[in-house]
Amino acid sequence: MSLKIAVLIKQVPDHEAIVQIGADGTLDIEDRYVCSFFDEIAIEAALDIRKAHADAEILALSVGGKRSVESLRRAMAMGLDQVEQLGDDSMDGADGLGVASLIAARLKTFNPDLVLAGKQAGDDDMGAVGPMVSGLMGIPLVNAATAIDVDADGGKVRMTHSMNGETWTVESGFPVVVTAQKGLAEPHVPVVMRVMKAMRAKIINTSTEDLGVSAADSTGRLKRLGYYSPPTRPQVQMVGDVNELVAVLAQRGVI
Amino acid sequence: MACNEIWAVARIRDGQITGAGLQLIEAARELAREKGLDARAVLLGCDRATADELAGVVNGVLWLNDERLNEYDAAVHAGALFGLMEARGKPVAIFAGTNDTDSEVVPRLAAMCGAAFASSCVKIRWEGDDLAIRRPVFGGKVYEELALLSRPAMVTVRPGAFDGAQKLAAPGSVEEISVEIPASSGVTVVERASSAQGGQDLSDARRVVAGGRGVSGESYQKVEALADALDGSIAASRALVDAGERPHEQQVGKSGKTISPDLYIACGISGAIHHVLGMNTSKVVVAVNSDPDAPIFAAADLGMVGDVMEILPALAEALRARK
Ligand SMILES: Cc1cc2nc3c(=O)[nH]c(=O)nc-3n(C[C@H](O)[C@H](O)[C@H](O)COP(=O)(O)OP(=O)(O)OC[C@H]3O[C@@H](n4cnc5c(N)ncnc54)[C@H](O)[C@@H]3O)c2cc1C
Ligand SMILES: Nc1ncnc2c1ncn2[C@@H]1O[C@H](COP(=O)(O)O)[C@@H](O)[C@H]1O
Repeated sequence: MSLKIAVLIKQVPDHEAIVQIGADGTLDIEDRYVCSFFDEIAIEAALDIRKAHADAEILALSVGGKRSVESLRRAMAMGLDQVEQLGDDSMDGADGLGVASLIAARLKTFNPDLVLAGKQAGDDDMGAVGPMVSGLMGIPLVNAATAIDVDADGGKVRMTHSMNGETWTVESGFPVVVTAQKGLAEPHVPVVMRVMKAMRAKIINTSTEDLGVSAADSTGRLKRLGYYSPPTRPQVQMVGDVNELVAVLAQRGVI
Repeated sequence: MACNEIWAVARIRDGQITGAGLQLIEAARELAREKGLDARAVLLGCDRATADELAGVVNGVLWLNDERLNEYDAAVHAGALFGLMEARGKPVAIFAGTNDTDSEVVPRLAAMCGAAFASSCVKIRWEGDDLAIRRPVFGGKVYEELALLSRPAMVTVRPGAFDGAQKLAAPGSVEEISVEIPASSGVTVVERASSAQGGQDLSDARRVVAGGRGVSGESYQKVEALADALDGSIAASRALVDAGERPHEQQVGKSGKTISPDLYIACGISGAIHHVLGMNTSKVVVAVNSDPDAPIFAAADLGMVGDVMEILPALAEALRARK
């Protein structure tokens, strides 16, 4: 049986990019976008699995407009050959459930054994889409996996993840949704040749209509009220010796 | 069908309500009070003693007393909460923790009932009749405020966002409810190993001593000794985890844990934004670093410039002397 893997990826601002609140209250985001940190781990994990299962079929999916295409080119440069953009820029404002609905609709026909996503996306840090895809498809979920071992013939996957202070090794049959935590795989930097080739590739698009999902259903559950600066701490108080430190800690009631 | 309640999903550890669980109950109590709603704790599985303990801090406990819920399974727990909604009506909101289990259960449940979901909330307030939540985005560079326009609104709350609920003058009631429990999703647990933390979840620790590259190798023992003197837990920066010196469960930061202890002592940690994100909601932050210009001092309440090799043992000693 040939293994089928879907990898869900998203283009987000680089973690070094400057993100600020503009004068009009919207965000000024420096124009440095990359494939999200945990999503590259998911891509690499899929590539690792293909090393042991040469006939594995891997489909990378990204929901949204032209930035989605960029993330798919990255996936191609890293070694995936089957990629697909779902929807268009009308999906860029969708919430997690909107994105998950489109993905679940596409996966109905792809019929994956394994769905790999990131633990959370580098922009909204929500951690919603992976679990939501599992909920919509009614299939098992293993969040924040740090190790994965696929036994295609036995029809099962073994994973490790951290569960409230313990490390759990769990096993699931197919299909299963697994989200990637750091440690699951070590993403490699693609070679220039492949990057060039990926830049020229034609990227397939499947529209929301084709998938029978309305982009309008993807909004309306969440309304953004505004952005705020992160809370700041008052100026640090420097202390000269440990007795002084202990005295202040006692005064603050934390020891 | 709807009910005028806010539910707090109370997680239990070794038969005790966790600190984060008490905070969730407080969140439900505060927000319910403002709108004349009822706060309820939802208990999945467990025993009568635990249900009674919960009733000490909240007016009503909805106890799903079914032994099939005692072992955690994301699909079963999400399904049971879905069943509770069918039986009792949709609550106004469901609050849960940012722990590893609820981070699976709640978004899965939100998908099952088409509800709005937001994770890692640090503030919750009413905006008219909708709940508005504040949460970090872009790795904490900014915070967003979102209104959740569905019923129920589903929220996971960061520890430290609320104070722990105080005991009620008179205990609340415990209502045993039987709901349909779905079959296991087929994820079986092969092995449960307690981490180096002795099974204690760093997310729930009150005092944490964390070490970075400045305490790599044998010097990390100084961190452990200080944690011991504080009855606290140990943690690490990514530098030590990547170097294979500390397990990943102990990593604090963007790609590790987000924690909000009362006291966080950063030792030999430079204070990269990715690290700070995991601890900046701690109540009191202390930084010990040999570099007076280290960015960690900007994220700290109290700072000491110097060598960890000298300061940590002296601090441990001073704390012991106080006991
Ligand atoms: C996407 C992404 C995610 C990341 N996630 C995380 C995360 O979850 N957690 C995390 O921690 N990092 C994370 N990082 C890495 C982060 O950017 C930093 O590289 C890391 O936190 C540095 O660790 P450190 O402070 O221990 O080491 P360093 O930056 O090397 O700092 C060591 C500090 O020790 C001090 N020091 C040295 N010797 C002594 C001494 N004898 N006494 C006192 N002080 C001394 C030095 O002055 C220095 O300030 C992430 C990075 C990226 C790109
Ligand atoms: N627009 C999208 N297209 C494809 N996958 C996505 C998209 N948004 C999120 N994901 C996947 O879901 C994960 C979690 O995203 P989030 O729920 O936004 O934190 C990401 O790491 C991706 O794997």
